Amino acid sequence: MFYRESGQLKSSYPADQAIFPIAQDRWFVIGVLAAAFLVIPFFLNQYWANAVLLPFLVYALAGLGLNILTGYCGQVSLGTGAFMAVGAYASFKFVGFFPELNFLIVLALSGVITAVVGMIFGLPSLRIKGFYLAVATLAAQFFLVWMFNKVGWFYDYNLTGMITVRPIDFFGIRITGPEATPAAKYLFTLTVVCVLALSAKNIVRGRIGREWMAIRDMDIAAELIGIRPLRAKLSAFAVSSFYIGVAGALYFAVYLGAVEPVEAFDINQSFYVLFIIIIGGLGSVLGAFLGAAFIVLVPILLKNIMVGGMGFDSGMAGHVEILLMGMLIIFFLIVEPHGLARLWQIAKEKLRLWPFPH
Amino acid sequence: MGFDIFLLEVILSGLMTGVMYALVALGFVLIFKASGIFNFAQGVMALFAALALYDFLAEDGWFFAVFGFTLPVWLAIPATIVVMIVLAWVIERTVLRFLVKQNEIILFMATIGLAFVLEGLGDILFGSDVKPLDIGIPQGASDWLLDSFNLYLEKLEIFAAGTAAVLVVVLAIFFQRTRIGRALRAVADDHQAALSVGISLDKIWVIVWSVSGIVALVAGIMWGSKSGVQFSLSLIALKALPVLILGGFTSVPGAIVGGLIIGVGEKLAEVYIGPMVGGAIENWFAYMLALGFLLFRPQGLFGERIIERV
Amino acid sequence: MSSEQATETLLQVDAISLSFGGVHALVDVSFDIRKGEVRSIIGPNGAGKSSMLNVINGFYHPQKGTITYQGQARKQMRPHDAAAGGIARTFQNIALFKGMSTLDNIMTGRNTHMSKSLFWQALRIGPAQREEIEHREFVEHVIDFLEIQSIRKTPVGRLPYGLQKRVELGRALAAEPTLLLLDEPMAGMNLEEKEDMSRFILETNDEFGTTIALIEHDMGVVMDISDRVVVLDYGRKIAEGTPLEVRANQNVIDAYLGVSHD
Repeated sequence: MFYRESGQLKSSYPADQAIFPIAQDRWFVIGVLAAAFLVIPFFLNQYWANAVLLPFLVYALAGLGLNILTGYCGQVSLGTGAFMAVGAYASFKFVGFFPELNFLIVLALSGVITAVVGMIFGLPSLRIKGFYLAVATLAAQFFLVWMFNKVGWFYDYNLTGMITVRPIDFFGIRITGPEATPAAKYLFTLTVVCVLALSAKNIVRGRIGREWMAIRDMDIAAELIGIRPLRAKLSAFAVSSFYIGVAGALYFAVYLGAVEPVEAFDINQSFYVLFIIIIGGLGSVLGAFLGAAFIVLVPILLKNIMVGGMGFDSGMAGHVEILLMGMLIIFFLIVEPHGLARLWQIAKEKLRLWPFPH
Repeated sequence: MGFDIFLLEVILSGLMTGVMYALVALGFVLIFKASGIFNFAQGVMALFAALALYDFLAEDGWFFAVFGFTLPVWLAIPATIVVMIVLAWVIERTVLRFLVKQNEIILFMATIGLAFVLEGLGDILFGSDVKPLDIGIPQGASDWLLDSFNLYLEKLEIFAAGTAAVLVVVLAIFFQRTRIGRALRAVADDHQAALSVGISLDKIWVIVWSVSGIVALVAGIMWGSKSGVQFSLSLIALKALPVLILGGFTSVPGAIVGGLIIGVGEKLAEVYIGPMVGGAIENWFAYMLALGFLLFRPQGLFGERIIERV
Repeated sequence: MSSEQATETLLQVDAISLSFGGVHALVDVSFDIRKGEVRSIIGPNGAGKSSMLNVINGFYHPQKGTITYQGQARKQMRPHDAAAGGIARTFQNIALFKGMSTLDNIMTGRNTHMSKSLFWQALRIGPAQREEIEHREFVEHVIDFLEIQSIRKTPVGRLPYGLQKRVELGRALAAEPTLLLLDEPMAGMNLEEKEDMSRFILETNDEFGTTIALIEHDMGVVMDISDRVVVLDYGRKIAEGTPLEVRANQNVIDAYLGVSHD
C-alpha cells in the first residue's frame, strides 16, 4: 500500500544500480543514519555505549570483513580472532612510534598490515578449499595468538603481557582512554564503520564482488571464463583482513582500552564472528549489522531475564547462552541459510504486497 | 646414555599422546567416511560421554538423585552407550535429516552449532567443574618397565594404546566386511544415489553417529581418566583436525598414523625448540605441520585424491 | 547458413592424447577449425567430445600433442590465457553462478575487459562507475539479443533449465569471443527452444563472425547449421568433412549403430 515500487521508474543505469533503488528504503536508511548521528549521542550514557553500541559497531565491522571472505568469496576462516589481534597490536605499535599521528591514519595502517598478514595466511587457499582451508586459518589463529603472547616486543615488554591504549586525541577531542566521553567514542567509531560499510557495499556490487561470488559459486567455471583464482582469493583475504584489522584496532583502542591476547582474541572470538555472519546472513552487508546486533543483545537480554528476573547465577546464564547460540546456528542453517538479512528481505517483500497475501 | 633414554621417553610419551589424539580422530573419520560430514562436535561428544559416565558412577550426579544408587562400572558403561545411541538418534532427527542436500560448508557449520549445544547442555546438566573419572584402569607408572628398562611410562597410556589398536581392527573389519559397512561407504560417496538404491539414510546415520559416539566414549574415558573430565577435552577436537589432515580424512589407519606423528612431533618440538622461543609450542605446532601438508599433499598420507570434473 | 569459407585457420589441434589414470579420453586427435566457421564435434557418448573442449579451454592438459591458437603453438593452454585470447564456452551441465542474478552472471563474462582497481571500486564514483555503466550497456545488448530482458534480475538458480542455458550462452557472448565453444547447448530442450537456440548460434556466427565449435547430439541441428563436422569415437577421430560427407561415411554409421536422424 504505502511501500510500493510501481511508479518508481528508472531511466538510467546508475539509478537502476543504486544501493537503495526504492525511495522508501532510501528514506528509511536516511532516517536511521540521522538518528544514529544526531539523536543518539545526546541520550548516550557510559553503560549503553560500552555494553551495547560500541561492541555492536566493532563486531559489525568484523562481521563485514569475515562476510567478505566467507559469505561473498566462500573461503571459510576460523582465524578472525587472530587477525583482530594483528590490527590491535599494529595500532598499539604505531601509536607508540608516532604518537602525533592522526588516529584515522593509524587505523588505516593497521588495516594494511593486517591485510598483508591475511594474504600470507590466505596463500594456501589456492590449493585447498572448504574446511581444509578452515584448518589452515586455525594455524594462523593459534600461531599469531601465541606470538603476541610470547614475543615481548609486541607488548613493549610489559610485565602483565597486556597492552593498554594511550590517550589519543582526534582533532582535539579525546577518543581513547578513561577521559574520553562515550559520545566521542561512539561518533568516531560510527563514522569509521559507516564509511567502511559504504565502501564494502560498493566493492561487492562491482567487478571484484562478482569475481568473489563467482569463485564461491563455482570456482572452476570462474577460472574458465577468465577470472584468476589467485587474484580473486587473495584480494578477498586482503580486503577482509583489512576490515577485521581495523575492527580489532577499534576493539582494543576505543572499546576496551586494554587487552590481553589469549582472552580477547582467541578461537572463541573467531567463532563469535562466524556466528554473527551465519545468523545475520552470509553474503550480505546488512547481515553483518543484523547479526552483530543480535549477538550483542541476546546475552544482555539473557542476563537480565535469567539473573535479574529468575535469580540464576551468571555462570548458568553463560551456559544457557552457549546452548542458545548453538541452537540458533543450527536453526538458521536449516531454515534460512541466508540468515536475518533474508528474513528482512522477505518481510519487505510481504510489506510491498500488503494488504494482499501474495 | 641418559640422553638417549630421555629422547626415547619423549618419543614414547609423544606416541602415547598421539594415540589419544587418534582415538578422537577415529570418531571423525567414521562420520566423514559414512556421511561426508565433518563433525566438529566430536570432541564435545567425548566430553559429553565422559560426563554421562561420571553421572552414572558418582553420588553427586542426577542418576543418584533420581534413583538413589549409583551404577557399578560394568553397568555404567553400557548405560552410557545407550545414552550415546539416543543422542545419535536425536541428532539425526533434529539436525541431520534437514541438511541432507546442503553443501559441506553448511554441514560443517551446523556441527559447530551442535558442538556449542552439547557443550552448553553438558555444562547445564552436569556442571563445569573438573570431575575425576576412575573406572578401574590401572594408574601410575609401569613398575616393570621402570625396573627393567629404566623407562617411565604410564600404565594408563599403554592401556589406551592397546584399546585403540583393538578399536581400529574392529572398525576396519566392520567397514570392509559387513553389509552395513558397505552401505556406509555408499552413503559417504553420494547421498542421493544411496537413497535411490534403497539405503535408508536416517538409519545409517543413526548407526554411524552411535558408533562414533561409542568411540567418543572410549576417548573420553581415556582422557578423563588421565586428567579428569573437563572442558578442555572439547578443545582436543580442534587438535584432531591436523591429525586428520596428515592421515587423510577417510582413512582409519591414517587417523592412527596421523595422531602418532602429531603426538611425537609436538613433544619433540616442545622439548627441543620450545626453550628457544619461550615454550608452549604445542599450541600451534600441529596446525603448522598440517598447513605444510595441505600445501604439498592435501589428501594426507592415506587419503584419496580428489579429481575435479566439469 | 554458412559464412564465407575463409581458409585462415583459427585453431589447430595436433595429435592430442589425454588420459586419466588408465582411462584414455583422447587418442591422437588432430583437426582444425577455420575462422568464421561452425564446426561440430559429434560422436557417441563417452567419445571424448567434452574432454576435447576442456583441452582447448585449458582445463585439461594433454599428455601429448600441441594446440595452435591464432598462430601460437602451445603444449597446453592455461584457462586464463584461453579466456584472454578470446575463447569462451558453455558447459554440458550448466555452470552458472547460482547465487547471482542473470545480469550479474552475464556481467562476469565481461570480466576480462574490466580493470578498474579496488580503490576506485570502493568509491564507485568516477572511473569505476563509468566502467560499470559502459559494460552494463554491452551486457544489455546481449540480453536484448537473447530476449531475456524479463529475467535479468532473477537469481539464476530459480530459472527453468532452458533459460539457464540461454543465460550461460549470454555469459559466453558477453566476453566478445573469437572462438565460442558450445557443449551440448540444446540438451534437454524442446523443439521450440532448439529453434531459438539455433537461431542465436547462427546469428552470432553471421553478425559477429564468431567462430563456433559445437558439441551436439541432435543430428538435425548438426546437419542444418554446421559448416564442417568432426566425428570422435572412443577418443579417436574417425571421420571429418562436410555434414553430408560425414553422414554418408560408413565408419560413422557403424559407430552410431545405424541411428540416423532426418
